Amino acid sequence: MNFSVLTSQFWSLMLSGISLGLIYVLIALGYTMVYGVLRLINFANSEIFMVGTFAVVFAETGLTGNALDSEPLKGIQLILTLGLAMLIAMAASGFTAVMVEILAYRRLRARGSNRLASLISAIGMSIALSEAASVLTHARPQSNPRLLEKTSLGEIAGANFRVDTVLVLVAAIVMFLLLDRFVNKTRVGIAIRAVSMSEENAKLMGVNLNRVISVTFLVGGIMTGAAAFLFMTVYETTKFNVGFSLGLAAFTAAVLGGIGNLRGAFWGGITLGILETMSAAVLGSQWKAVTVFVVLVLVLLVRPNGLFGEAVQQARA
Amino acid sequence: MINLRDAGSNFWDKLNRVQRTTFILVILGFVLLVPYMDTFGPTSFVNTPIASFRDALVYPVGMFVLMGLGLNIVVGKSGLLDLGYVAFFAIGAYTQAILSTTTSLNMWEILPIGIGLAMLSGVLLGLPTLRLRGDYLAIVTLGFGEITRIVVLNSNFTGGTNGIPNIPPPPKIGPIVFDIMNPQNYFYVVILMILLTIWMVRRLSIRRAGRAWEAIRQDEDVAMLMGVPTLRYKLWSFTIGGGVGGAAGVLFASKVMVIAPGMFDFQVSILILACVVFGGIGNIWGVVLGGVALAYIPERIRFLTETRQLAFGLVLVIMMNFRPDGMLPRKKREKIGEKKKEIK
Amino acid sequence: MSEKVLELRNLTMQFGGVKALDDVSIHVNKGEICALIGPNGAGKTTVFNVVTGVYAATSGDIVFNGASILGKKRHLITKLGLARTFQNVRLFGDMTALENVITATDVHKKSGLVGGLFGTPRSRREERESKERAHELLAFLGIDHRADQLGKNLPYGDQRRLEIARALGTEPQVLLLDEPAAGFNPAEKTALANDIKKIRDAGYTVLLIEHDMSLIMGISDRVIVLDFGKKIADDIPSKVQNDPKVIEAYLGAPADAS
Ligand SMILES: Nc1ncnc2c1ncn2[C@@H]1O[C@H](COP(=O)(O)OP(=O)(O)OP(=O)(O)O)[C@@H](O)[C@H]1O
Ligand SMILES: [Mg+2]
Repeated sequence: MNFSVLTSQFWSLMLSGISLGLIYVLIALGYTMVYGVLRLINFANSEIFMVGTFAVVFAETGLTGNALDSEPLKGIQLILTLGLAMLIAMAASGFTAVMVEILAYRRLRARGSNRLASLISAIGMSIALSEAASVLTHARPQSNPRLLEKTSLGEIAGANFRVDTVLVLVAAIVMFLLLDRFVNKTRVGIAIRAVSMSEENAKLMGVNLNRVISVTFLVGGIMTGAAAFLFMTVYETTKFNVGFSLGLAAFTAAVLGGIGNLRGAFWGGITLGILETMSAAVLGSQWKAVTVFVVLVLVLLVRPNGLFGEAVQQARA
Repeated sequence: MINLRDAGSNFWDKLNRVQRTTFILVILGFVLLVPYMDTFGPTSFVNTPIASFRDALVYPVGMFVLMGLGLNIVVGKSGLLDLGYVAFFAIGAYTQAILSTTTSLNMWEILPIGIGLAMLSGVLLGLPTLRLRGDYLAIVTLGFGEITRIVVLNSNFTGGTNGIPNIPPPPKIGPIVFDIMNPQNYFYVVILMILLTIWMVRRLSIRRAGRAWEAIRQDEDVAMLMGVPTLRYKLWSFTIGGGVGGAAGVLFASKVMVIAPGMFDFQVSILILACVVFGGIGNIWGVVLGGVALAYIPERIRFLTETRQLAFGLVLVIMMNFRPDGMLPRKKREKIGEKKKEIK
Repeated sequence: MSEKVLELRNLTMQFGGVKALDDVSIHVNKGEICALIGPNGAGKTTVFNVVTGVYAATSGDIVFNGASILGKKRHLITKLGLARTFQNVRLFGDMTALENVITATDVHKKSGLVGGLFGTPRSRREERESKERAHELLAFLGIDHRADQLGKNLPYGDQRRLEIARALGTEPQVLLLDEPAAGFNPAEKTALANDIKKIRDAGYTVLLIEHDMSLIMGISDRVIVLDFGKKIADDIPSKVQNDPKVIEAYLGAPADAS
């Protein structure tokens, strides 16, 4: 145990915690949006993320002519390549999410089946996707080329602002703000919120439920895909089971913040990122999941609806 | 599709006491012969290609059925979604591994300790978390499963990554020896545990505890308002389910003789849950069937090494879409009662 | 006749900006049928919810048999002797009618899970007693022939009766009925009115929420009127009927004849 790092490297740890947390935020949005409309943990979201990371590998190796060791790009070429890779990841994840909804949830929902059946169906989807990836890659890790030279932009209070860190900060916050606007300002977004509040009322108001749910999965998938792109830009390697631990962390973040609530996912993700980084520094990285879990339980005991969740009124008796 | 559940219960209803006893004895006799099916010509097709058939009967088949029954108490009876059931299995297994290699206790003596520790951890986890509802409980239990694995992986007393080797087998009882040459004897012990669990569940189901669980599962708010001490009964279901997992773990460790953290990952929790839901959540016979199917079939088709898991995932999706209540859905008592009345 | 069993003292229940109950002081006397009426949204169901512990009151006190039950756990409140039915029927749909009632009778049983598992004599005796009592209660409400049917398959009227039987299963001192006649035709209402009288005569105290005036006037010993979370009247039926404040509350609000 080494508590002195908390003071000596505080800002540096904060910075890496926040940038990790922001990646969690984007994945957590996938969970939280689906939870909002269906009241279900979309177990396959971790594999939607995994698909995104593979898409980044294929896009970036493809765009740079299959050279893993290709030179970092510069200027407009860099921006275009990265932008395209990000779009491809978002499209791949978004598409996967929509397919997951159609294949794993739709029929069960139409029949009004129990939630466990949907959960197992989603787990089945999740196993199938990750195993398919495992077969295709022979379970070997996959890397993308380093397109972005990770130079430092400067240091503030011991925190090193590297290019990729800044990219994560900016891109994730922009994505979050876009989503926030989408949900609050557009017609579809408002329909999504209506369904989240009360499926029946939304139906009465003439909302096309299937379409709204598809859009929710799509948007959640796109966010998760963006997370996959940022993840690959920073960590540069992925594997068929990459989704498991990240998905678990992101879901925890969503619950921590108050599931079903976009801003909750935001603050939950950041809190979790910081917490993980700090506890890894103090206790060693193998224990960070334990810390996270203990904190989650403590938070839920005190605030059963998460840190930032509004107290949902108890079921009317 | 034929309705197995009704066919089964109709068949059973028509039997008289003597016929029922005979039927049970025949089934039991058959179960005792199962380990020899692989060497008996006409049934040798059941043989598993990679793992030895008799070993596979103990783990995964028997163990999955046993754990499925344990998890069914939690998920099927009282409707609590536990995604970290493997933790109880691990606690049982490590109790056996540690105590049998460091003390002179044998497996039979460790068994109650392992069950006790698993139940105790169920209480410790359940007390704070069973107040939470539905999906929150799911994530917390999932976390608990992961934590158990991480602790085991990173601690000295558990042997870290390498795990614990040289776990002694149970001492023999009379002529029944337990060693690698006689895996069928472990199978019989698992069967015994399964029967005990079934007895326990059936008994509890028709008594106060079963009603309390059922009420909690259907409408927890109303259950409370009708005077059901919900937390207490949720805790009971959680700990009893955990105890069954612990028992499975103790036996497992003494059978495989070497255990390592990799055997207790999240996949196991999910597989057991899949057995329960696949077979028919809440229905004992459904769970037994689900456990046998999901544990045995992957072993049988093991030659499809790479795509086996992929197929498994797809089967889950397809099955849930077309039979969401499982192969043998929860029994609906009313129909049978009505039919009887009509006959009279 | 005027011993108070249940009393709400200056009770306020606030949901965000809405005061569902606003400084309400009411009581129920032992052995009476007390009606709780008021226009839609007046706060009647909320009274049941705070009394049975579903909601935590914002301020005020709830006294049952001389002791405060504020903040007690719901199943303990039930055990003390308060049981209710629900405005929208909430049975255990996948249990038989009999099991629904037995589940409620369990509240006063001593033997728990371990006793049940090993079939101790006490547990077996209690199981038998529960079953007999449940049959009695079903018969009391005239639905014993439904004993083995699943709750969800019962006809609507019998579901309402089963809810009453289930609440009685907890042996309450005060039975709280939330619109038990909702959706009934006149003949069914008359039958229900008789049942409620029978329940009172069997020694239970009844607090009854109802919209049907003729039913209320026919059977209640006392009527309490709520409007916008405030008590506006509390008297014998004939006086309440002619109270100008009550008439205004009902005329001012959209007429409701359910
Ligand atoms: N859980 C809750 N959250 C927010 N507001 C609530 C809640 N429960 C009740 N209310 C509000 O409190 C007020 C009183 O509701 P209540 O259900 O007690 O009315 P009621 O008298 O039973 O009406 P009705 O005759 O329609 O059953 C209403 O304005 C209602 O919207
Ligand atoms: Mg009401």
